[in-house]
Amino acid sequence: MMVIFGCVLLILACGGGGLWIAMRIKKRPREIRAAMTALALLDTEIYWGATPLPEAFQVLEQRMEEPWRSFFAELARRLRQGEAAGEAWQDTIAACRRDFCLRQTDWALLKDTGKGLGRSDRDDQHKQLERIQRQLALLWEQNNVRADQQAKMWSYMGFMLGIAGAIILL
Amino acid sequence: MAISDVCLSARDEAVTWASLSKWFGQGVGTILAKIQQISCRESEEIRLRIRQPLLIQTARRDYFLNENSQSVEPRQAYKIRTEDLREALERMTHSSLYAAEPELRQGFLTLPGGHRVGVSGETIWQNQGLQTLKHISSLNVRIAHEVRGAGLALLPYLLGEDGSFRSSLLLSAPRAGKTTMIRDLIRLLSEGVAELHLAGQTVGVVDERGELAGMWQGQPSYNLGIRTDILDACPKSVGMAMLVRSMAPQVIATDELGTAADVAALSDAIRCGVAILSTAHARSLVEAQSRPVLRTLLQQGAFERVVVLSRRNQPGTIEQIIDPRNGRELFPPGRKIRAESKGS
Repeated sequence: MMVIFGCVLLILACGGGGLWIAMRIKKRPREIRAAMTALALLDTEIYWGATPLPEAFQVLEQRMEEPWRSFFAELARRLRQGEAAGEAWQDTIAACRRDFCLRQTDWALLKDTGKGLGRSDRDDQHKQLERIQRQLALLWEQNNVRADQQAKMWSYMGFMLGIAGAIILL
Repeated sequence: MAISDVCLSARDEAVTWASLSKWFGQGVGTILAKIQQISCRESEEIRLRIRQPLLIQTARRDYFLNENSQSVEPRQAYKIRTEDLREALERMTHSSLYAAEPELRQGFLTLPGGHRVGVSGETIWQNQGLQTLKHISSLNVRIAHEVRGAGLALLPYLLGEDGSFRSSLLLSAPRAGKTTMIRDLIRLLSEGVAELHLAGQTVGVVDERGELAGMWQGQPSYNLGIRTDILDACPKSVGMAMLVRSMAPQVIATDELGTAADVAALSDAIRCGVAILSTAHARSLVEAQSRPVLRTLLQQGAFERVVVLSRRNQPGTIEQIIDPRNGRELFPPGRKIRAESKGS
């Protein structure tokens, strides 16, 4: 009886783990897509509105969904406290990255955004933000199709591993 | 309050070193936050010049500060580094240099609280115009002090026999309290003064340089009264016409008249029945009349009161109040001034 209970528990745990990994894989392209939207909005605020960064990040906070909403709220808060934009961007990434499903390569690209943020004229800011958006678009294209396949694989693989473990136990 | 006590001692809304230090980087910010021997209220300017000592200027003297925030000889003082200027500029623009470009082109920034920061460095010219400033080498932070009640002793002299406000021009050399005085007069006119039987007036403020209201994200840093509409960062010549058309002001207040376009807009506003409250750089009425722009206005009879301020006792000391149409001196009384001041 105990062995059967243990096997069910093992299958559920492995299956749950697989589903969790699948969910994270599926979320990653969505978060990259949201980052592209956020940077496009930021570009608009800077280029067309000449909106100061604390105010621009507040606009993003209102317009974006979680987890980017919290990210920009934190960023706006740090800027209002007098932190420099580049420093605040890096610190916010360090503080909020656990809430995201992004990988190291994605963060490396996003960290680049913080360098020089707000330190030049509007044309230069526009060029920098466009460059990052293009790179993010490339990353999204590379991962979007693959992410579906990988997510499906992990959602099955968890249960399969659980079943394999249960067979061994039995 | 007697006018001899005038005027900028009334009620200073406290600015502290701690509140100012946040606009500077680690080096200068820490020094400012620890200052004890210099009163922030009496301080007028903080000067940062590349490789030169950190300097605080008060009405009475200059203080050079070392790392421990003590006043020392210039050669022992903390020397300003490029990093200090870069960090300060980044904080002062809220890391948004692009948003401060129009102000930088005019050579200054306005901080929340109305503190004005003069900026100098290498100028970049494009299409025969100043594009921007780079390699910033000096910052001059002019500390704004809100002094409520400063205008109370002056206001009775600016009212006509019928008790209505008369168009007035405040004159002084730089740093003699014009802006602080006009700010308080705006508030008093807007809220009304029961003791003078002066009802509150609708006041329109054209704050071209952002010094009068110290607007930040649409919110004024100073209390300019309950009937005041503020047009921020707008050229005076455009703003006065806009206010007349849209906000029906009884009084238009604006700082530092200086161009022919200002004169034309101001004359139009007066023709529409609006009283004007303004300031200009000049140490006396005679000096004002030597400036073509002001001479035109005075000749046209645009102003019914001219107030001359100085720093003799302290910033905001009232030296003279004159009715320029007849040359009658209202303060100090009993003295007739020269004929040339009649503006004829």
